[in-house]
Amino acid sequence: MEILKVGTGIGVTPDLRRRRALWQILLFAAGLLVLTVISAGSVYLVNKARDDNASVIHTIEVENQVHALLLEIRRAESSASGFLLTRVPEIWTDHQAAVAAIVPHLDRLAELTRDNPVQAENVNKLRPAIEARRDQFAREMNFIQQGDFASATVLVREAATGNTTGAIRDAADAMLREEQRLFALRSANANNSQTLAASLTGVGSGLVVVLALLSIWLVRRSAAIRDEAEARLRDANLNLEATVDERTADLREANNEIQRFAYIVSHDLRSPLVNIMGFTSELEELGSDIFRRIGSLTHVPADGPSLATNEPAGIALEGPDKQLSQDFSEALGFIKSSIGKMDRLISAILNLTREGRREFEPVRIDTGELIEAIVTTVAHQAAEAEAVIRVGELPDIVSDRLALEQIFSNLIDNAIKYLKTGVPGEIVLRGRTKLGYAIFEISDNGRGIDPKDHQRIFDLFRRAGLQDKPGQGIGLAHVRALVRRLGGTMSVSSELNVGSTFTITLPIKWNVSKRNAEQ
Amino acid sequence: MTQPVTIIMIEDDEGHARLIERNIRRSGVNNPILPFRNGTDATHYLFGADGSGLVQKGNALLILLDLNLPDMTGIEILRRIKENKHLKASPVVVLTTTDDSQEIKRCYELGCNVYITKPVNYENFANAIRQLGLFFSVIQVPSAAT
Repeated sequence: MEILKVGTGIGVTPDLRRRRALWQILLFAAGLLVLTVISAGSVYLVNKARDDNASVIHTIEVENQVHALLLEIRRAESSASGFLLTRVPEIWTDHQAAVAAIVPHLDRLAELTRDNPVQAENVNKLRPAIEARRDQFAREMNFIQQGDFASATVLVREAATGNTTGAIRDAADAMLREEQRLFALRSANANNSQTLAASLTGVGSGLVVVLALLSIWLVRRSAAIRDEAEARLRDANLNLEATVDERTADLREANNEIQRFAYIVSHDLRSPLVNIMGFTSELEELGSDIFRRIGSLTHVPADGPSLATNEPAGIALEGPDKQLSQDFSEALGFIKSSIGKMDRLISAILNLTREGRREFEPVRIDTGELIEAIVTTVAHQAAEAEAVIRVGELPDIVSDRLALEQIFSNLIDNAIKYLKTGVPGEIVLRGRTKLGYAIFEISDNGRGIDPKDHQRIFDLFRRAGLQDKPGQGIGLAHVRALVRRLGGTMSVSSELNVGSTFTITLPIKWNVSKRNAEQ
Repeated sequence: MTQPVTIIMIEDDEGHARLIERNIRRSGVNNPILPFRNGTDATHYLFGADGSGLVQKGNALLILLDLNLPDMTGIEILRRIKENKHLKASPVVVLTTTDDSQEIKRCYELGCNVYITKPVNYENFANAIRQLGLFFSVIQVPSAAT
């Protein structure tokens, strides 16, 4: 109970842990998302700002173009007037260059404003006016070429005051106004884009910082929880060790108690048994005395009753007396055989408790030699049972010698004892090692054990199969207890009428401290 | 001059006491047998009211002792007998059901003279007691020397 409490008290429930992991993943995802949005937004806004700037530049270019066009017209006008005043031929050349430049400038302007319907309309208005003005320039030129300067002067004056110039100015002004408007709009747009980009970056950075702070807080919190859990785990471990020690002490105490109990029980049971057996024997003697007397009384002739009891013992009883005597002996026989059996059981318990109390001492054992010694001691029984014992290669181990002797002699003894009658026995011992354990197998071709009895044969005072051999049902229980105390395991595989194989697994290097600490 | 040896039998089990007595008699020993059923009565008799053992000074005793008594352990009685200067020369025969080697060793260490295990097999039991009877007839129990 205590352990369970400590266990659930430690740190974090799986649910909480899962929730925290989810939170961290969410935070990370949010951070990533914010970064992505900022990047995409920035790219978009930067592009937009570039476009906006390009538009602004475009507007300025259009304005420039309008000014350049007007400048060329003015140049043409002023150079025409200048020439008429001064008659300097360079000014005339200048006039011709200016007139020639007007149309390319106009075309360029039309090209620039093609995307804007309002400006295109304005250009369309501008074009006839400029055509008309060019026509005037051409006529002026004609007059000048013909030397009619007076007509040219009149024409110049007319043109300067005429509505063509006004139309050009109006159209150009309209274009400039439109461009001014566009300029203001586009500048605002560009500003907006840049402000938006700046604020997006600012907000995004802020968000990332917030997320980072949140993450740091979460990490710190979970670290704090983990520290706390670790501290609690340490405490729990200490508690656990204390609890384990306590329990081990309890178990040891309980074990000792059982040993003492078994010892006392077997010892105290024996005491009345001595009486029962003793007085039964006394009774037996008494009985034979009584029946001898009855015999002598019935046999004595009526004339001379001799009460001498020391008659030779051969007086035969007759009829009912004989029957009585037999019944009496039979009853006593049963009592005595039962007492004998009980005594053997008590002795067995006593021996087992003594074995349980004996301290094991690990020594290096030449297993092959040990088995050879056992085989020698059972050679007589083996020969009687027509059995051969074959011993294979056996690994040496470090263990308790006496315990090992008891284990193997019990098993070999059993193998010889339970061979099939009339069939030459064959008992084989094999050994191998695996992962620090030595595995021994004792196989026979004997009568075998029914699978349903495989567990039962290891129980104390239980036996299986044909009960034609003497035994208390202790051997295998004892062997298994010994194997367990030596830190090993034991199993049987067997088939009825085919044979049995007992497998014993023992640690190659048995550590005494593991076991004797408990003693 | 020899003084008849008194056999002190400290045995809680009446049946055992009877069987022991019967077999001692069968072996031909006729010394007086004084049975005690528990440790308290026995120690009271052996050591007297003051517990000094002075009351037994000069008496020739042979003590048959069972180790499992209801009120105290036979080992304790054995220890006291062997520590008492008036009683330590008296032979003590431990007769008990235990054949635990540790216990046997302990008894001999404390100065027990003979240790006999009561076998359930009556033949053996009777034999053991009869041999004890023979043993009684040959041992020299120190008699009252001061």
